Amino acid sequence: MTRSQRTVAFIASRLASMVLTIAGATLLLFLMVRLVPGDFASVMLGPRATPELRAQIIHDMGLDRGMLEQLWLFASRAVTGNFGEDVVSHRPILDIVLDVIPNTLALAFSALTLALVVGIPIGVIAALKPGSWLDSGLALLSISFITTPTLVVSVILFLIFAIGLHWLPVAGAGDPGDVMDRLQHLILPSVALALGWVGYISRLVRAALLDTLAELHVRTLRAYGVSEYRIVGLYALKLALVPVVSILGIGLGDLIGSSVVVEIIFARSGIGSLIFNSIAQRNYPVVQACVVFIVAFYIVANLVVDMINALLDPRIAAGRG
Amino acid sequence: MRMKLDRRTFLAGSSALAILPYTRFAMAAGARTNPIIAVDADIGNLDPGNRVGTTEGNIIRAVCQTLVRFEPGKTSWTNDAAKEIKQISDTEFDFELNPGQMFTGGFGEMTADDVKFTYDRYINGDKNGKKLAYADDLEALKSVEVTGKYTGKLVLKHPSAALWLIGICDASGAILSKKAAEQLGDKIATTLIGSGPMVLKEWRPKEQFVLAANPDYKGAYKAHFDEITGKIIPEHKTSFLSYQAKELDFTAFDADQLATAKGLPDTKVIDIPGIDYTWIGINVVKGDLADIKVRQAIRWAIDVDAIIQGAYSGATSRAKTLLAPGLLGNWADAPLYTRDVAKAQALLAETGKTGLTFTFTCLNDATSLAVAQIAQANLAEVGITLTINAMDSGAYWALGAGDASKDLELTLIPYTSKFDPSFQTQWFLASQIGLWNWQRWNSPEFDKLHQEGLETLDKAKREAIYVNMQKLLDESASCIWITHGRNFFVDAAWLKPMFLPNGKDWQFEFFDKA
Repeated sequence: MTRSQRTVAFIASRLASMVLTIAGATLLLFLMVRLVPGDFASVMLGPRATPELRAQIIHDMGLDRGMLEQLWLFASRAVTGNFGEDVVSHRPILDIVLDVIPNTLALAFSALTLALVVGIPIGVIAALKPGSWLDSGLALLSISFITTPTLVVSVILFLIFAIGLHWLPVAGAGDPGDVMDRLQHLILPSVALALGWVGYISRLVRAALLDTLAELHVRTLRAYGVSEYRIVGLYALKLALVPVVSILGIGLGDLIGSSVVVEIIFARSGIGSLIFNSIAQRNYPVVQACVVFIVAFYIVANLVVDMINALLDPRIAAGRG
Repeated sequence: MRMKLDRRTFLAGSSALAILPYTRFAMAAGARTNPIIAVDADIGNLDPGNRVGTTEGNIIRAVCQTLVRFEPGKTSWTNDAAKEIKQISDTEFDFELNPGQMFTGGFGEMTADDVKFTYDRYINGDKNGKKLAYADDLEALKSVEVTGKYTGKLVLKHPSAALWLIGICDASGAILSKKAAEQLGDKIATTLIGSGPMVLKEWRPKEQFVLAANPDYKGAYKAHFDEITGKIIPEHKTSFLSYQAKELDFTAFDADQLATAKGLPDTKVIDIPGIDYTWIGINVVKGDLADIKVRQAIRWAIDVDAIIQGAYSGATSRAKTLLAPGLLGNWADAPLYTRDVAKAQALLAETGKTGLTFTFTCLNDATSLAVAQIAQANLAEVGITLTINAMDSGAYWALGAGDASKDLELTLIPYTSKFDPSFQTQWFLASQIGLWNWQRWNSPEFDKLHQEGLETLDKAKREAIYVNMQKLLDESASCIWITHGRNFFVDAAWLKPMFLPNGKDWQFEFFDKA
């Protein structure tokens, strides 16, 4: 097998496993949500619910059919991108999900970018002065970032930047036609979401960089009189970033998953708040559609990372990495 | 001019860019002429008969006309789409519409056909014959007859005072364009065509809606603002913070923030007593609870005043009976059961029962849990063990389906109400056992009075009927009334919002500058 054939085979196998994973996750969720007591008709109608109205909604949602039939209907429609219609608003569920996804992606990408931009320099600085007071201080800071709950960070950010200084808005995602307004609304939630990852990435970079700096070729470079900054900037950091690249896929997926807290606190529309509200309402079709999108995104992000790694290191594509 | 890009210039430039968003926001917050307000739920369905919550109801009343419209801040009403409504008998009303009332979107002038189409949906169901969710609001309506382009007749099944208050004046009575509804089909759930003071100019699901003054509106209730923007913020804590950050001009807030709200500059705090009702229901046919003395003992043992202080931060008043003060039929002289441990213990001693254990089922929000824990501590003192079973709303409200509630014992139930007492009393009927009568209390006398209340038009007689119904409830010891709730709002000093007396129904068309 040539290298290009191996790469194609690698990508094909990953795509096949991606489809299987989405199908498996969806099936699991399909079964799990139906085990939760309660039904959408009762939540929606509350104390207005007559038996006829409840039965009507249950029928409209297809919940009066057998489980296998429901699953088949969902799966057969979903492969064509048809997730059905919301029984309350009569809007296509795909439209409801697609409305909110850009907000979540903007939040996740900005948070990840922020985490990288801040986390990598902190990790490098700490690695350059191992054991120093600066290293200890940055370690304390990083661990504080990791352990402080997003909720607490959010409230602190509210109090300082929105209420105290009136610099930034608290709620919503901003006017879609106004880029500056969107950016303003993105700053606080991004920071709240990114902070834990800043700590995580900085610790990861520090550890990887220290390992790299201890390797033989770095010692050789030092022996040749190459400056420490040059060694770090040109040679060691590249290698130290390999594990960081590897966790980016997980990181992005994780950020999308944990966006639920931030989206609720900052009243941002997004897939996190949509799935949260849909679960609370037992709106199964919307939950299922959201999960398909989240799982698909998570897997695609990891696939992209794997492919980048495979390009960087052919041993991975060959299954020897 | 040539600009040199060195490190210093780069840093200065990037700092200026970074500050730009902040300065822009601070400036924008300063000069607003149209209000931005918070609503806690998104629009679900704009079909008046299938609306889901109060957000849609408030929008529908502003965008559509009703035959008669609630006056600002009152439950009394005056003519709106109707030029005149004349009572012919107890069950017949002639109406005449104002000419020239145009539906938006080019759907033409409102005629009596539109009124018939609108109300027929409540009588006969939608185009597929499906019953509307709010069909019961117009339950008393038998038919609508069209007698001319602008004239028609409402024929009732029986005399009904409630029909106007909870049906025709409210969002259920919003007159739809027949042409628009037929053309839009299911899209009436997301497209509201009205002829009222405002139009729904924009709706971004999960984010915001914008109501704008209707330029073609010719009626008497012209909107005072060009636009009102409603931001969808489900959490009161977040909307209150947004208000403090000057992003909003009006929002509801929770009672525990009252002291903070009172200290805010350029702010009015609005405090409206609620008409809703939260009570502890006791299943009167379940085990030891079937003994009225046990129920009475529980009523004496539970310290409702402590619940008001502990669970509601003392920011709401205590309820004595089902119907809130201000509503027709409020029983002002209802007995107040102030905690009396000795009486509770004496009643339990009379029954000879010891080691009683019950389950207290409630929602899993902080307030409900606090109520449950206080009740648990109170009952422990008289020797009753209470196990708390907290559920999320999805599981909790499902107990109203298919007799799922039959094994409940004590339950904390929060219900919203309407202005007519019949709406509140209906859930305690025998026909609601297995549905929403979780007390499973069955009183033929109560049921008979409920029907009389529906069909009686004389106000004094109705008042007496509803007081008697509450006396029957009191004798049953099946309900421990907790509170009618309270609604708190903050609004910018320059704004004058308008509410119906329940505090939940807002009248956007009457929002004005202070």
